[in-house]
Amino acid sequence: MTALLDSAALDQAGDTGTTPVRLLRAEFMKIRTTSTGWLFLTGFIMFTVLALTINGFGSHYQLHPQQGLASGAQALAQAAQARSPAGVATMAASMMTSGQRIGVLFALLLGVLIVTSEFANQTAAVTFVTVPRRATVIMAKVYAAACCGALFWLVSTVLAAVATPLFLYSQHVSTSLAGWDVTRSVLLNLLGFVAWGVFGLGLGAVLRSQTGSLFAAIGVYAGSFGAEPFFSELHNLFHQYWILAAPVIAPAVASEVMVTSGPAFPYAPPGWVGGVILTGYTLALVAAGIALTKRRDVI
Amino acid sequence: MVVLLAVVVIGGLVLLARRNRGGTRTDHARTDGAGPGLPDRPLGGRRVPAALMSQGRIEACGLTKEYRGVRAVDDLSFTVEPGRVTGFLGPNGAGKTTTLRMLLDLVEPTAGTATIGGVRYAGLDQPIRRVGAVLEAGAAHQDRTGRDHLRIVCQSAGIPLARADEVLGLVGLGVAANRTFRGYSLGMRQRLGVAAALLGDPQVLILDEPANGLDPEGIRWMRDLLRTLATQGRTILVSSHLLGEMEQLADDLVIVAAGRLAAQGTVASVISSMTYPGRTLVRTPEVGKLAAVLGSDAVVTPAGDGGAYITGADAAAIGDAALRAGVAIHQLVTQLPDLEAAFLKLTAGKAAIR
Repeated sequence: MTALLDSAALDQAGDTGTTPVRLLRAEFMKIRTTSTGWLFLTGFIMFTVLALTINGFGSHYQLHPQQGLASGAQALAQAAQARSPAGVATMAASMMTSGQRIGVLFALLLGVLIVTSEFANQTAAVTFVTVPRRATVIMAKVYAAACCGALFWLVSTVLAAVATPLFLYSQHVSTSLAGWDVTRSVLLNLLGFVAWGVFGLGLGAVLRSQTGSLFAAIGVYAGSFGAEPFFSELHNLFHQYWILAAPVIAPAVASEVMVTSGPAFPYAPPGWVGGVILTGYTLALVAAGIALTKRRDVI
Repeated sequence: MVVLLAVVVIGGLVLLARRNRGGTRTDHARTDGAGPGLPDRPLGGRRVPAALMSQGRIEACGLTKEYRGVRAVDDLSFTVEPGRVTGFLGPNGAGKTTTLRMLLDLVEPTAGTATIGGVRYAGLDQPIRRVGAVLEAGAAHQDRTGRDHLRIVCQSAGIPLARADEVLGLVGLGVAANRTFRGYSLGMRQRLGVAAALLGDPQVLILDEPANGLDPEGIRWMRDLLRTLATQGRTILVSSHLLGEMEQLADDLVIVAAGRLAAQGTVASVISSMTYPGRTLVRTPEVGKLAAVLGSDAVVTPAGDGGAYITGADAAAIGDAALRAGVAIHQLVTQLPDLEAAFLKLTAGKAAIR
C-alpha cells in the first residue's frame, strides 16, 4: 500500500505543454488506441485505390475511344479535346483528386465518432472530470478532427501523386503536375477534408447520440444532392435565375462548388461562395456544439 | 486562407510526430521535488497538517437538482471530513449519483453549492491531483486497453504516462493491462476505475458504488484500500447500498432518501438514533407467565408466531426469571441494533420510483 504514496512516476515532470497542447495529444492517443481510426484509414486507402483505378480506366477510354461505335466521330473529337494541353491538365487534376469527392465522407464520419464515442462509451464523464474546461476539450477535438481530415487528404494525395504520373506516362501524354490548375484542385480538397472533419465533429457535439449523428451526417451529405432537382423544380414554378444558383446552400453542393475549377453545375456561383458557405456551416456547428456541451449535464 | 490552413495542419502533424516519439520527454526529470500543483503534503507521511485537512473537506450546501419537475436532490446539505471514510447511503433513485456528479461539476445544480476545500471542483487547479473519482464501472472505451485508458487520462492531466503502470499494479490489474476493456469482468472494471482515481495521488476520493460486482476477495481489498487511504488523512466519500459492507467500512454516514438528507453522523450515532437500544427475542409457550415474573422495567411485545420481543431485561435476567418461574424457554436470542434496521426505518416509504 505504501507504493501508492511512493510514486516514482509522479515525482517526474509530466507533460509540460499547455493544456490545449496536452489535450490535443490526448485526443490523438484516443484515436490511435481504438480500432476505429485504423479501420477508417484502411477503408479509405482501399477506397482511394479503387477510385484511382476507375478514374484511370475512364480517362483511358476518353483518350482512346473504342472504334466502330455509332458516335465514333464525336468520341474522336472528344479524345482530341482530351489530348489538348488544357484537356490533359483537367484530366491530371481529376486523377490527382480521385475519390476525394466521396472520400470526405470518411473525414466527416470520423469527426462524428471522435466526439460521439465519448458519450456512447460513457467516457465523457472521465474526460470532463479530468479537464473541467469543456470548451477547451471540444476545441482540442476540433483540431484533432481537422488533423484527421488533413491526414486522409495527405494519404489520398500521396497515392494519387504516385499513380497519376505513371498513368499519364502509360497513356503517352504529359503535363506538369505543378501547374496551378492541379495544385489549386489539390489544395482546395485539403480545405474540403478539413472542413468536413470539423463539420462532423460539430454535428456530433450537438447531437451526442452516436447512431443518430452518423445517420444525420450521411443524410446531410447525401441529401445535398437532392438540392439541385429541388431548386430546378422551384425554378420551373417561379422562373427566377437565382433559384438555379441556390443549391449551393446545401453543404455537399457548397463543397463541390468550392473544389470544382469550372462551374459545378449551370448557373453555379463562383467557388469562393461554396467555401464561405461550407465554412459557415462548420463554424456554426462547432459554436453550437461548444455552447451546448458547456451547458448540458454529463450523465 | 489555404496557406493559413496548411500551416495549422502541418503544425498538428508535427505535434503528432512528437507525440509518437513519446517517452523521451519524461527523461527531463524536474529537480525541485514537488509535482506541478502538488501541495507539499508529505508523500508517505502519517501526519497531515491541519491546514491541509481543511483542503480535503467536502461541503454540500442546499444542493438541489430538478429534472423536468422531479426534485432528484432536494436542499441537501452535509459535510465530509478528511481522515475518515464517509458512507453515502440511500435507496435506488435517492439522488446519490446526481449528488456525486454535482460535487464533480458534471451536473449543474438547480440551486445550492458543492465545494471541495472551499472551492468548486471546476475551479481547482489540476483537479485530478486533488480529487480522484470513480464513476460508473462502464466508463472506458470498449476497444481500448486498460493501460491506454489510464495513459490518456495521464496525458490529459499532464501526469507522466508511467504513472498508469504504477496504479495498474496497485489495483492488481497488471496482468490485464493490455487487454481491452470489453474483456474485463465487472470487478476488473471497478478496479480500473479505482486505478484512474488514484492516478493523481489525490487528497480526496469520491467513489460511486465501487463495491458493485466485486467478489468477496475484491470487497475485502477495496475495504482495506479505502481504510488505509483514510488513515493517511485523505477524505473518502463512498456511495453504496451494501449496508453490511458500509457498517464495517465507514466511520461516518450520510443517508439520503427521496433526495433529502435523512441522517448524518457517525455510524454508531445514526444506528442508535433510529433503532431500539437492543432487545431479546424469546420463544416460550407461556409468555404471560414469563412477563409476570419479569421486573416492571421489562416491556414485552408480541413478535408473531408465538415469539415475543423483550426490552428492559437482558437475556441472562430473562433466563434466570424463567428458571425461577418454571417456564420452558425454546429460544432466547439477543438482537443488537444494526445499520439495516436503521436504514430501513430512515428510508421507509421513500424508496419508491419517482
